[in-house]
Amino acid sequence: MSTEQKLQTAEQLLAPWNKETIRPEENRLDVVIQPEALHEAASALHEAKWGYLSAITGMDMGVEAGQLEALYHFCNGPAITSLRVRLPRAGAVVPTIADIIPPATFFEREIKEMFGIKVDGLAVTDHLFLPEDWPPDVYPQRVDFTIEQAKAMEVSHADQMPEPGRVGENTFVVPIGPQHPALKEPGHFSFTVDGEIVTAAKMRLGYAHRGIEKATESRSWVENLYLFERVCGICSHTHAMAFSMGVEQLAKVEVPARAQAIRELVAGLERVHSHLLWLGVTAHEAGFDTLFMYSWRDRETVMNLLEQITGNRVNYSANVLGGVKCEIGDEQSKAIKEGLTYLETRIRHYLEVVTTDAMFLNRTRGIGTITAPEAERFGLLGPTARASGVARDVRIEAPYGAYVRYPVSLVTETNGDLEARCVVRLKELLVSCFAMRSILDNMPEGPLTARMPRKIPAGETVARVEAPRGELFYYIKSNGGEIPVRVHVRTPSLCNWVSVLEKAVGRQLADVPMLIAGMDPCFSCNDRVVTVEDSRTSENWSWKRLREYGIEYYSR
Amino acid sequence: MNNKPSLWKQTMNKVRTWARMNSIGAIHFNSGSCNGCDIEILATLTPRYDVERFGIKLHGSPRHADVLLVTGPVTRQARERLIRTYEQMPEPKFVISVGACSISGGVFDGCYNVGGSVDEVIPVDVFVPGCPPRPEAIIDGIIQLLGQLQGGAPRPVAKPKMTGEVSS
Repeated sequence: MSTEQKLQTAEQLLAPWNKETIRPEENRLDVVIQPEALHEAASALHEAKWGYLSAITGMDMGVEAGQLEALYHFCNGPAITSLRVRLPRAGAVVPTIADIIPPATFFEREIKEMFGIKVDGLAVTDHLFLPEDWPPDVYPQRVDFTIEQAKAMEVSHADQMPEPGRVGENTFVVPIGPQHPALKEPGHFSFTVDGEIVTAAKMRLGYAHRGIEKATESRSWVENLYLFERVCGICSHTHAMAFSMGVEQLAKVEVPARAQAIRELVAGLERVHSHLLWLGVTAHEAGFDTLFMYSWRDRETVMNLLEQITGNRVNYSANVLGGVKCEIGDEQSKAIKEGLTYLETRIRHYLEVVTTDAMFLNRTRGIGTITAPEAERFGLLGPTARASGVARDVRIEAPYGAYVRYPVSLVTETNGDLEARCVVRLKELLVSCFAMRSILDNMPEGPLTARMPRKIPAGETVARVEAPRGELFYYIKSNGGEIPVRVHVRTPSLCNWVSVLEKAVGRQLADVPMLIAGMDPCFSCNDRVVTVEDSRTSENWSWKRLREYGIEYYSR
Repeated sequence: MNNKPSLWKQTMNKVRTWARMNSIGAIHFNSGSCNGCDIEILATLTPRYDVERFGIKLHGSPRHADVLLVTGPVTRQARERLIRTYEQMPEPKFVISVGACSISGGVFDGCYNVGGSVDEVIPVDVFVPGCPPRPEAIIDGIIQLLGQLQGGAPRPVAKPKMTGEVSS
């Protein structure tokens, strides 16, 4: 089915509630609907299996307009249908759609917290990424919120930490983080355990929430490129690439083929570095430090290559608006090929290790299994989804940039457990290495950059990029000025958290670090909060009683 | 009565300094960084850079650590945790602030949820600039700290002056 046909199908599905149809771009359809009709319209798309809910973007149209907007983006291959809901600035209410599409919870809580759009029927009302002591009725993404206002705000540091060792009827709460040896990044989890078995999981993020989306609204297009690169230090290239792709679409600038090829090449190298990093961390969580050290040693090969091409090991700044700033000459090309040859042998070796090492398999095989229907329901993305057999990869579904010319093949597994996630990521690297070789062999000639205007024409666009962790979604709006009006970033880690929390329940506490590592979380990318189940009523237990209970539990 | 420590104390201090210099226990705290510095800190532990040859090892608990490596601008929510982690460390304790944003807020300066630099929250001994600093730079920072330790009590280094300030 072509993109046009898909959009027509969507339009027909949404016809009963359609108030106005806008076609902002060739592959996009905006349907304006009444807030009351949102639930029905979303379920019409969902039931017809028209794509998946990718993000919800909130927007403030300004104090004079007195209007807020919420955009529900559904992606189906390259086609994107957005349900546009217009709301009054005071007393904005939308119904929740999380009952039909569970991952919408995170997105809804985000618009609630950032824009003050009340979501009717939302189960969890805790803060998502703002601190607990953030004053009520202050919404940082609204246009009338200023940084000065935030500076003047008193921080009382009153946010609550669960008391360590608080116990319910038969349970014990184990708090983990934000500073914890198993977590290299800040996040707080509390797992309620019954003996060794986890009975409830709760999570609080937001320790790395910096407020980047707001900051973009006061910086120029070029400054923002470097800001977005620092959303995440691990996948910095994909963030910068998504942002520049969006801005280039708005400016209607054609990026030279050579620049696109180099972008894909750097993205490929970044994927190798990110997945090898992940492999090491996962091995470390499993207590397999030898594999951690080996994979990080081999990762230095790719760090060298990135440094040779771009001049920096992390935050490479390979992109500029309209192209790239680094050239791949014969010398670099030769070095990359040599590096790839070495890496390919090593990756094949690791593939053998993760599928044959008995000790490692004990920690991965059959653990955290997510079936394909579950993965669809949770809205998982990237390698976590592909390990469950869900074919979700933007590079294949909606090829962008050089992926049209140098396609990659889809890697999926069916088991959906931690072993499958290891295998998917490693096989994906072999595919990436193959793609990089074909780029190097057929590098198009031409300039590296196209000329970009200083002011970007008014309009709005969506850029989707497959980051190492899954689909990265950028929504960019310009009003023709030197700074963007709104940039919304939805990162893949946000969609994958459910896999940890749902799957931790019923497993041993010792499996939890592996489950967390299994989805390759990126805290600085997402930083939000989720609760799956709450612990039961609390009462205090003495250590003695707890110990006795433990003995009793195991002698059963 | 003179204030000079007894010979026994002097000797013990020497032994303590020697022991501390050869077995630094470090912990890492991310106070809102982009992960760039964090992966470079991890890289210093792995075979290429291998800080264990200086006796430096990453510990799990702040109670086992001598050195706190802080990355990132201090976000509102991480601030309290950073202070708590610092307070849990036994004396004497040292802080290395890694990365441009932990020194000045860096690229995140002016974001609403960012409080500012690490040295506004806890005392810092060594600043390692860079976005992110290379592992060599991080090792150099640690070695500078070791140098300070050798010379007796560590002195907090003045915060580097920002030259050629970028207009906002």
